[in-house]
Amino acid sequence: MNQERKRLDPRRPFVLSPAGLRRIILGATGGFDASLLAAPAYKPAPKPLRLKGDPAGYLLVAAHSQRGMLDAHAHQAIAAAALLASPQQAVVVLVFGSLNEDLRAYGADLVAVLPGADELGFAPEQELAWLCEFVTRYAPAHVFMPDNEIGDGDLGRRLAIHLGAEVATHVVELKPGAVAMYWQGGAALARGLMPLVVLIAPDVAETSLPFSGAGETVAPPAAQAPPGRYQNRGLREIAASALALEEADFIVAAGNGVADIPTLEAVAAAFGAAVGASRVAVDEGKFTRDKQIGATGKTVSASTYLAVGISGAVQHLQGIKACRHVIAINSDASAPITKRADLSVVGDAQEVMSALLAELAQRNLPDTARESV
Amino acid sequence: MMFPQLKIAALVSVGRNPASGAPRAARNDVLALDAALALAPEVSVLHAGDAAPALHDYLAYGAASVEVLPLPAGADALAPLAARVAGYDLILCGQRAEAGQGSGTLPYRLAKALNMPVVSAALEITLLGDIVEIVQFLPKGQRRVVRVSLPAVIALHPLAPRAPRYVYARLRAGRLLSAPALVAAPLPVSPWQSEPAVKKPQKLKPPETRQGHARLLGAIATESKGGALVREGSAAEKARAILDYLRTNRLIEF
Ligand SMILES: Cc1cc2nc3c(=O)[nH]c(=O)nc-3n(C[C@H](O)[C@H](O)[C@H](O)COP(=O)(O)OP(=O)(O)OC[C@H]3O[C@@H](n4cnc5c(N)ncnc54)[C@H](O)[C@@H]3O)c2cc1C
Repeated sequence: MNQERKRLDPRRPFVLSPAGLRRIILGATGGFDASLLAAPAYKPAPKPLRLKGDPAGYLLVAAHSQRGMLDAHAHQAIAAAALLASPQQAVVVLVFGSLNEDLRAYGADLVAVLPGADELGFAPEQELAWLCEFVTRYAPAHVFMPDNEIGDGDLGRRLAIHLGAEVATHVVELKPGAVAMYWQGGAALARGLMPLVVLIAPDVAETSLPFSGAGETVAPPAAQAPPGRYQNRGLREIAASALALEEADFIVAAGNGVADIPTLEAVAAAFGAAVGASRVAVDEGKFTRDKQIGATGKTVSASTYLAVGISGAVQHLQGIKACRHVIAINSDASAPITKRADLSVVGDAQEVMSALLAELAQRNLPDTARESV
Repeated sequence: MMFPQLKIAALVSVGRNPASGAPRAARNDVLALDAALALAPEVSVLHAGDAAPALHDYLAYGAASVEVLPLPAGADALAPLAARVAGYDLILCGQRAEAGQGSGTLPYRLAKALNMPVVSAALEITLLGDIVEIVQFLPKGQRRVVRVSLPAVIALHPLAPRAPRYVYARLRAGRLLSAPALVAAPLPVSPWQSEPAVKKPQKLKPPETRQGHARLLGAIATESKGGALVREGSAAEKARAILDYLRTNRLIEF
């Protein structure tokens, strides 16, 4: 009976995944091939260009950047346009604010950047003039914008009303030529033909695409609006400690590896950050329940998340999915948080925190001149 | 401070309880009404549509009366409202309706029709002579201060820090007035077909063309990065690595 058992060949052909793991090639047979081992790790082939030849038409996407980056919602708007465009239609992206990232992966073919017009400014008439110039220059079949609160929802509505065009807002479903959105506070779904201006809700499109955009830089619009009726009097920032965690932009979070809470709070104060905690730290009574981040706590969307002495259990990582930059301080180089973090520092939490405080004390202190509420 | 000489209008709609679907005063419009009452003792509270019983709630929230501009079912409320509020100094409304289309475009269309500036996402409104200062909501704990001169249309953000009070005696004392419409509303020609929302909306995805092995490779080649790891060096060097990261990504400004 033993002779009957089918044996697996331990030297079946395989490739190395980017993580350095062996992945067998299903269905392939044959002996061990030394050339495969020597071959560099598996690299995905460069994605093909979506646009074929010279563009015969355009789709326009406009969005505000934050700190030189577009957010996931804006990426989805670009990807949606790329997925809906015909092979001859180019996707033009107009970015209000500076841009330090590559939008080709999301399917952007032509990119124009207006540095100095980011989400913190408020000049609706000037921005409308720029956007209208692009609408005239490219005569896009549709204009896609994320329906958000950092200025795109506002600008999109202004554009539609200015052009007297039909507009669909809070669009939750996109299909070629058609859109759907909720009415009656979510009880009804309204469908119709895709209008000129489409303001999309978050998560309507997949952003990992099988193709890439051309990513050419084009000249930004130069229109100059006459002095407007709106006067921007600047920003007011609320002290991070007074802010609900969900709204905070910088969070310093403590886990089981933090013994000295006052030091952690000092670090948070030095960065002007809000304080969060893992469940273990909360259960130990070091923090109140409203500080807990994770599956059974709060879901946060800070740009910066500094995780101190947190192992990075899935239940915790669930709560920080939307965080853009995760930095971990952990004594264990193989803790799961290092897979999620953009920068992991291996070391004792107490030592690194004290060093951080010393460094921060040396440099100029954060801008306290800012108006605070 | 009160500004009795100003003509202020608050536009209110019939809301919808998100759980039961029962009609009620729209939360966002209640905030607009409350903000208007804080600026002037006399506010014209206007509703375009039917004299629905839910409008009585606005009386309880402080409206002396609610003026109802008749509107055929489904017709566009813009024309009658624009005709009624022409000549007003300040028009307040909620940013997005709870019932109906809830597209959040009415304030913009009204401002265009009346040739006024429009500011949305307002949290606080202060009058400075013939200028109005608005604190606007921005995500992540930021607030922006914007000034426009009167007349203006202002849409209130749902998180506006106001505490409207419901007083039943005011509900008994106030009245709904039905006013004749100054302009006939255009009949509805909606390009939209609405259906009960039962199915979840579908996400737009690229068509899957890869097969078998290619798909497997795609699945394992996740674009997850696993960032830089700093192991060596003193605590001070590690701290500097963190600060350098924050600075290169412009996450701190010092
Ligand atoms: C149903 C369910 C729901 C849950 N929901 C949540 C939730 O919402 N939020 C949540 O956070 N957890 C949640 N958990 C718990 C979660 O599974 C983990 O147990 C928890 O997140 C671990 O917290 P921790 O990382 O702080 O502690 P630990 O797992 O103990 O990790 C401590 C980390 O600190 C490091 N460390 C230790 N000493 C030092 C030092 N001196 N210097 C530097 N690093 C040090 C260690 O290397 C380790 O990586 C949930 C669990 C369950 C079962």
